[in-house]
Amino acid sequence: MSQSPDQNGLDGLTELEAQAMDYALGGGSRAERKAAELRSLSDPDFRAAVERWQQLLSPLDDTTPGIAPPPSVWAAIAAEVTPLPRRAAGPAAKASWWDNLNLWRMLGLGGPVLAAVAVALLVQPGSVGPAVPAMVANGPALVATLADATGKPLIAAAYDPASGQVRFAPVAASDDTTTGKVPELWVIEGQNPPRSLGVIDIAAGRSQTIPRERLAGLKPGSILAISIEPTGGSPTGAPTGPVIATGKLAAA
Amino acid sequence: MNRPVQPVTPGAAELSSLLLKAADGDTAAFHAFYDRTSAKLFGVILRILVERQESEDVLQDVYLSIWRKAATFDPSKASPITWAATIARNRAIDRLRARPPRAQVPVEAAFELADDGPAQDAGLIHGDDVRRLTAALASLEPRHAAAIRACYFDGVTYDELAEREQVPVGTLKSWVRRGLIRMRGALEGSEA
Repeated sequence: MSQSPDQNGLDGLTELEAQAMDYALGGGSRAERKAAELRSLSDPDFRAAVERWQQLLSPLDDTTPGIAPPPSVWAAIAAEVTPLPRRAAGPAAKASWWDNLNLWRMLGLGGPVLAAVAVALLVQPGSVGPAVPAMVANGPALVATLADATGKPLIAAAYDPASGQVRFAPVAASDDTTTGKVPELWVIEGQNPPRSLGVIDIAAGRSQTIPRERLAGLKPGSILAISIEPTGGSPTGAPTGPVIATGKLAAA
Repeated sequence: MNRPVQPVTPGAAELSSLLLKAADGDTAAFHAFYDRTSAKLFGVILRILVERQESEDVLQDVYLSIWRKAATFDPSKASPITWAATIARNRAIDRLRARPPRAQVPVEAAFELADDGPAQDAGLIHGDDVRRLTAALASLEPRHAAAIRACYFDGVTYDELAEREQVPVGTLKSWVRRGLIRMRGALEGSEA
């Protein structure tokens, strides 16, 4: 049992460096890895530290014997990467983001499997994208553009403290599985673990009312994140599915 | 802090070019990339997950991610195989963490599986790097090195390892982190 490590458990490392090592090596719990994943989306210094450790450790992969996968794996992949014929996308009959993958495919790049694009600015009504009324009756509104891991904007979000509503404008689609899955919104405040703001319906211009108590303390600098969860939301209270987008809240 | 840029193997240069083409929607180039790298990635995933079907599912997910993210690959930051293998490791570990609690497949089974095929894509990582890193790892205290290997290769958590070794988690983390710092020091040719 011996000696305990440093009081802070960091062994003289910065907290950033320790978290980066842990993530690159892979020993963290599910929640710790999720937190690191979220941080890497919003913190370039952290991402760079993770990449340095991944790079350093990567030669170890060469000591793992390769094993040829069965042909069925490529067949399944090939079915997905074959570019889809372009279809005329009519106006969406149903408003759900998830129901309109084809529409989003049209909007975004001709990329086959895609993850699309097109920034909608909530704070500038009348600009591209769904027209969303300006908000803010009193108090500063907060806005965030949520981007994927590559920095590509996916969703714009705006919070109106007067009404307690959050609005989303989808600016892209995800190719994540849609069946039985829903997007869930999280807020990360400082070093705290992600806190759920609930399952959301990201339909153009639709308002989302989130219970006020959950929004308490929402302020500029907090990070919003959206993960894909089973219908009904994360069963664990922490993000369990892929994080598709993150963005920092700023005063509008 | 920063390592010198890795020597580029001929394999890496070719893979980079295939990825660039895949980013432009070239499915034939993507298929070639798959053929060159899938055995390595499958090996990495299978070592962590052990279960074959689950590993195949993850492999499929990983390549769909690679196809989608090919345009974000930056050859100045990582070799293509490092980039792809990192995606595979992370996805496999996340899948492992998402499993409901149940009896783990014995570790021996992984090695058994891992022996049933030759690496069809050896040599994608520069041999000197592999030798230096494995030497650095081997120079650590055996328990520390074993902990690092278990995390990296098998996806074992700090918590599980601490229990296995009967030490507090903080101690286990300390072993691992100090070990990694020493390895980095050894690779940089200076004491950590």
